[in-house]
Amino acid sequence: MSDARRAVREEIATRLLELSAADQTEVLISTSDAALTRFTHEMSNQNVATDDIGISVRAIIAGRTGVAQTNRFDEPSMRDVVARAARMASLAPEDPLQGDLPTGGATQAPANAFDAATAKAGADLRARMCDSIFRSAEEAGYWSAGFAATSTGGVTVANASGALASFDGTDAAVNVKMTASDSTGFAEAYSTAVGAIDAAAAGSVAVGKARASAAPDAVEPGEWTVILDPAAFGELFVYLTDHFSAQSFEEGSSFCSDGLDRSYFSDNVTVVDDFAHPLAPGMPFDYEGQPTLRLPLIENGVARNVVTDSYYANKLQRPNTGHALPAPNAYGPQPSNVVVAGGDKSAQQLVAETPRGLLVSRLWYVRTVDRKRAIVTGMTRDGTFLIEDGVVARGVRNMRFNVGILDLLQHCEFSDTQVRTGSYHYSLVVPTVKISGFAFTSVTEF
Amino acid sequence: MEFESLAGRALDTSRSRGASYADVRFESVRTERIEVRNGIVATLADASSTGFGIRALVDGAWGFAASADTSDAGVDATAARAVEIARASAAIGRQRIGAAPAQPYVDTFHTPLQRDPADVPLSERFALLLDAERLLHGAPEIAVGRAWLDLWRADKYFFSTIGSRIAQRICQSGAGLQAMAIGNDDVQVRTYPGDVGLYQSGGWEIVEQARLLEGAPRIASEAAQLLRAPQCPSGTLDVILGGSQMSLQIHESCGHPAELDRVMGWEANFSGTSFLETSQLGKLQYGSDLVTIVVDNGLDRGMATCGYDDEGTKSVRSDIVRNGVLAGYEMSNDTARGIGLESNACVRAQGWEWMPMIRMCNLNLLPGTVPFENLFDDVRDGVYMESNRSWSIDDRRLNFQFGCEMGWEIKNGKRGKLLKNPTYAGMTPVFWNACDAIADERSWFAWGTPNCGKGEPMQTGRTTQAAAPARFRGVSVGVGYSE
Repeated sequence: MSDARRAVREEIATRLLELSAADQTEVLISTSDAALTRFTHEMSNQNVATDDIGISVRAIIAGRTGVAQTNRFDEPSMRDVVARAARMASLAPEDPLQGDLPTGGATQAPANAFDAATAKAGADLRARMCDSIFRSAEEAGYWSAGFAATSTGGVTVANASGALASFDGTDAAVNVKMTASDSTGFAEAYSTAVGAIDAAAAGSVAVGKARASAAPDAVEPGEWTVILDPAAFGELFVYLTDHFSAQSFEEGSSFCSDGLDRSYFSDNVTVVDDFAHPLAPGMPFDYEGQPTLRLPLIENGVARNVVTDSYYANKLQRPNTGHALPAPNAYGPQPSNVVVAGGDKSAQQLVAETPRGLLVSRLWYVRTVDRKRAIVTGMTRDGTFLIEDGVVARGVRNMRFNVGILDLLQHCEFSDTQVRTGSYHYSLVVPTVKISGFAFTSVTEF
Repeated sequence: MEFESLAGRALDTSRSRGASYADVRFESVRTERIEVRNGIVATLADASSTGFGIRALVDGAWGFAASADTSDAGVDATAARAVEIARASAAIGRQRIGAAPAQPYVDTFHTPLQRDPADVPLSERFALLLDAERLLHGAPEIAVGRAWLDLWRADKYFFSTIGSRIAQRICQSGAGLQAMAIGNDDVQVRTYPGDVGLYQSGGWEIVEQARLLEGAPRIASEAAQLLRAPQCPSGTLDVILGGSQMSLQIHESCGHPAELDRVMGWEANFSGTSFLETSQLGKLQYGSDLVTIVVDNGLDRGMATCGYDDEGTKSVRSDIVRNGVLAGYEMSNDTARGIGLESNACVRAQGWEWMPMIRMCNLNLLPGTVPFENLFDDVRDGVYMESNRSWSIDDRRLNFQFGCEMGWEIKNGKRGKLLKNPTYAGMTPVFWNACDAIADERSWFAWGTPNCGKGEPMQTGRTTQAAAPARFRGVSVGVGYSE
């Protein structure tokens, strides 16, 4: 299946390049077949599958750039999209910093990026995954909501400078929230192989959290020591990833705009961008066809690198790290495979060493309050617990926090186990983290 | 009607495979985005997409499949896939929710246009943005200037097995500006005209209405001034919110909790649930008696204005809050029938690829009777805030904290000095019950939101919240900056 789709993409790419007379032409062809079975109250309320192709042509004529897109690949449509890109480019103002497109290079996709069983997964398999979660809910007397998803996607990038790169990958996930009479619990699992996902286990974990947080009472807002499960830490940390974009760095809105090779965090903080991490194997090149570097972003608390694409590599006279987003984009290059290094204690040990604190399962609606200082606000959800004398004592009501991520990572400890976590807008590999001085500002009614 | 033959094929295949009801929605979408950033055209994209989505009902359970392959074989395969998915849903469902819409419609709808964007030369579109963005750099503190426009057109063709045949052309346009000023350890942003620009249904006239060239120097100056402005104080104060911030307040604290699918737990794992439980319908004092909020999908220039929603229900106007009391919900066929009501046509899909679901549409706070300038009259100690910068609310839509780009001190009825980083927080019904004045219709405006996220797979919805500035007493202000 992936071979056939790759062949179609590369055939389209070749034809589009033949049709273009622009000084420089880049074509980006993507294919996707994504299915998701969403459920609530032990029934499916959204059970969907979509099969699509995307064709994007970037034409550069005398430093002027235009992009046109379509999802049709018959000959007239391909001629039309090439002509539209050229027309846009001919009318655009010249950008003196627009350099040559990358010439590409050899890349090697991670071995476990594509799983044939996941590519073939159908609605019946997803239904069985959901059904195993329903059974956990029914046994506990709770109701469940969540999803089981499988997808396959492919990308081919080619340009007239010689770059040609193709990648096919798969992905699978379950996400479950269990709701009891006055409490909720959450679990998630991600893998490129659906066979590695234990939906029933996720259901059990969510049941356990809902049960343990029953009859929550309120604790006082204020500064607390918190232990954030990976899902919660990921939801927080993702608000720092854009700071590693060369665009934010250059414009002055990143925390590290003041300078790289300076210490901003405690020395146990190490963060890399690694497309080949076994928990989140990804595309080994970017959307310009440039091989992606496995890059340290923070080493022992010191900011080491920002990520670039061809434009920002040229503008800042830095190496092209291969982190371009699909053109056109106004966000600049972005790290898309962020991994936070673990520590040397288990998550259980982090709890056991906490005289009084809060264990947080998941965060919700995190938003930036102050960009430069990386202050964010948000809520806890789906399992928040009081820790007393090193033991998870009981559930507590959810609270609003206002915290500066830079400050928090001055005094933190990480667990020794990393987990892939994510949402519709990110995928990260992170450990559990223990943080002191986490500021809660109010408590909600549940 | 375009796609009629393929639609018949899709519906026939769905029926022959076992669907008791099916609908198919073909869409052909054209979008253009231009964004100028610091004098450079950072985005210049002209995109088209065509495809179809089939919704099939089998044994009371839905399946949805979509494809860009509009060949006969592609339509057949996709219809078969929708039925297969519905059958899988039925196999595990402990209850049945799906039901066919009751009434078929044969009709057309076109967004009224004063000036078709296709008639505006591309060079004119560029020139406007380049000129406006250049004006953002009047102050040396401005590190980033942005000017953008979006032009969207969707041709939608809806067919169903009960006989609906509906063709609609929906056109929406938007434009905006943003100036980012950077100082010592501080970043201040001003966006214009509202916090996302100006988005409405219509053509080039929307871009013209945004008056980018007039707004650019003002917001550049304001962004620079904010770097030097004092911090907004913390404490319990009276608050007056500008129109676009009221739009956000309505969106987050009324629009989302009034979505009936959310109330029923259909969004529980992602967007959350709602405190507006159905047992509270007609009883809950959501706000003060000044507060009346309606769904109106016929609103002039509303982003969600259309003839029919994406499951073929005709647009209507209905109450959500009437004189402060919870009076209704945003509903689909399935959810409305669950509480013995009829759909009020609040179902939308982002495009052909997505299954339609309940979305906030045009949700309007009716204007009050007080001239805007008189809102300030009896405020002894308060803050006037404009243009959203940060928004967060809990997953039952109760505990919220919003921040604005700028505020002004109010002392003894007079607007005073500029304040930076204004934030306010509260609990939704407490806050709305503290509303004691809403400005009159002269400052009532249809503010569009082009980027509302909901659902899994996540879909982006386009909504409008028409609103006028309003006053709230005794609000917690300055949260998050109280060090």
